[in-house]
Amino acid sequence: MGGSRVAITGLGCVCALGPDVPTCAEALFLGRKDRVAPVRFEDSYSPTSPVFQVASPLPAPSRWLKHGVSRTNSLALAAVREALADGGLTSSPGSLRVGVCMGTTVGSALNSTRFYRGYLDRKEPDMSPVSRFLSNNPALFIAREYAFSGPCQTVVNACSSGTDALGIGASWIAAGICDVVVAGGADELSRVTYEGFASLMVTDDEMCKPFDRNRKGLNLGEGAAALLLESEYSWRMRRKPPRGFVVGYGAACDAYHLTAPSPDGQGLRQAIAYALETSKKASAEISFVNAHGTATLDNDRVEAITLHEMLPGVPFLSTKGHTGHALGAAGAIEAVMTMICLEKGRIPASAGFSVADPQLPANPNASTKEIVGSCALSESLAFGGHNSVIVIEHSND
Amino acid sequence: MTDMRMVIKGIGVVGAFGSGIDALATAIVDGIRPPLSTAEVITKEGTGRLSVYRARTEGLEEFFAKRELRRIDHYAKMALLAASLALKDAKVSGQRQGTTGIIVATGYGPHRTTFGFLDTFVKEGNNFASPTLFASSVHNAAAAYAAILFGERGPSLTVSQLEMSVSSALLTAWCWLAEGRVDSVLFGAVDEYSDVLGYCWKRYFGVQETSQAEMRPLDFERQSAIPGEGSVFFLLRRNENQGRYGCIRGVDMGFADCGRIDLPETDLLFLGADGMRETGRLYPPHLSGKNNFLCHAPTYGSLPIGPAFDIAIAAHEIGDGAYLETNAEALPEKTIGCLKIGRQGEFSLVMLARE
Repeated sequence: MGGSRVAITGLGCVCALGPDVPTCAEALFLGRKDRVAPVRFEDSYSPTSPVFQVASPLPAPSRWLKHGVSRTNSLALAAVREALADGGLTSSPGSLRVGVCMGTTVGSALNSTRFYRGYLDRKEPDMSPVSRFLSNNPALFIAREYAFSGPCQTVVNACSSGTDALGIGASWIAAGICDVVVAGGADELSRVTYEGFASLMVTDDEMCKPFDRNRKGLNLGEGAAALLLESEYSWRMRRKPPRGFVVGYGAACDAYHLTAPSPDGQGLRQAIAYALETSKKASAEISFVNAHGTATLDNDRVEAITLHEMLPGVPFLSTKGHTGHALGAAGAIEAVMTMICLEKGRIPASAGFSVADPQLPANPNASTKEIVGSCALSESLAFGGHNSVIVIEHSND
Repeated sequence: MTDMRMVIKGIGVVGAFGSGIDALATAIVDGIRPPLSTAEVITKEGTGRLSVYRARTEGLEEFFAKRELRRIDHYAKMALLAASLALKDAKVSGQRQGTTGIIVATGYGPHRTTFGFLDTFVKEGNNFASPTLFASSVHNAAAAYAAILFGERGPSLTVSQLEMSVSSALLTAWCWLAEGRVDSVLFGAVDEYSDVLGYCWKRYFGVQETSQAEMRPLDFERQSAIPGEGSVFFLLRRNENQGRYGCIRGVDMGFADCGRIDLPETDLLFLGADGMRETGRLYPPHLSGKNNFLCHAPTYGSLPIGPAFDIAIAAHEIGDGAYLETNAEALPEKTIGCLKIGRQGEFSLVMLARE
């Protein structure tokens, strides 16, 4: 996106904090509640690690889908509907070219355990889960729902998908490919990812504690968030003042390991450096960092060391103590949280943190804090060693 | 149409026809239909047989030590072989200059490994889930292995947009090059066959008798698709003189049911029809007499990333010329379009040209 500012004219979010942005914004500063409700896994199954589930009802699409709508897409629809309403783009966009760029993990995986059990048992299983997968590509689903004619892209970069979708959407606008991009991420809770993270022994049987000395791992979550990204031509033509801007995006690989971050944080450093470079912001202009902060031993160590060295003194926090790790949706949800904090001029305590880890050179924010400035980073680290960072600026207009 | 100029510096392909762009070109020029494998499809009625275009990855050992490939699955191996061949074709080796981004397009991701992971806890119980299989089952595993084994620390992206995966991902490749985020993009596409996919194929389409299996994609109303697998990679750059293969000059995406697709005048149009009746019947309303069209799916099979093979064939034709059922006079401007229409009416058009 090479130094250009891409406007954010609408926000939408649904996660364990609440069904919309105002509710999430309020809950973010109220402290953490217990999130231990049973999950809607496909099989009957009782997980031992808490999960952060969306409790609110989800909207139905305006058109009938023969094989039904995936929960991931229902979550996405809730967030996109709110973002479009917030951005005043509820009617036909007319001549505007609107693209869709959505991050996900579960939403693009053919992994129905119910179907697979039937297949293994040679019981000619119902093909609905497969048909539903084929007709529920997240970006295409949103484009079809709103008759958007621009390009669709479903980003499957594991846990950085949501952040990458925002950076890519901003690049599409900067390059003139689209006037507007509905960008974000969506993911539902799934037994498959639950079992996967459990097998890696990176889940906590209690509530997660990002950056805390007693952290043991992550809790999974679900949700969706969408940002309405828009060119200057478009928002001026629509007379819709931006809430903020995506001013920078950096991404880089560790090229180190499939699941563990590089111990020296090389890829994360490169991603932060490039995000700052493209935003033309100095590190001193960054008000805070919404860290990935999964509460795994390795992730939090690498992030704390890297942030301490690259952005010394800049407060950071993790919001996963409120939302769980919503995988492909996480980066988008955290971008919305970042925007909320910039608008409020303060950041909450990093949920779940109470005891400083002497192994970490810096600690997350421990109480509600006023911030100075109008820019913040939101970062994601993913399987595959991919690191993504966006720079968001609050509109002072 | 998004105008762009991405120079294709190297191509690597892996499919049932063999490995390398020359193997693909030979199959096209000589009209060779690759040998079909026979897969068993187990149903409650018994075992059926299904013809499949399978890809082999033995050539990978030319590029990597066996121990480096120890835990890497077939999906990622196909991608790594195609990527290695693309770099070799571009005469790029060792320490590369500048930043290279890695972009991988896939329709279905590494589902063979995903179901392998399901096996470990569905069959064995909750405490037996395999962390190794889980890690390799994420869609971006192939891109991650490429970054690790090639030592590339630039940005990485994996896109899963069903039949539009390739064209969609190309748009982002162009953005990365245009904004100077990277100097090169190692751009690829990969999809694999699995027993579960074969089972689904049988349930949706029935099973063609092996002896009669033949793809007839231009018989648009006939279901003749045969599942395929493989990978295609390109090394793309922006500001360079034309390469051996010409350039990708534009990508258009939209919906074919929102009016007639605005097909530009091209010397040749490659149709992404692949023997699927559901999508094949969507092509004729958009074709006119001004378009000379061909279809190459019988060389690589039916798979979501089929357009990547068409782009490779088009690039080879634009670069080295003379093959196909046409001749040099038929390509005065050296422009070829690759059109794909998806199951939900979405379409993409990728334009290639000499300059």
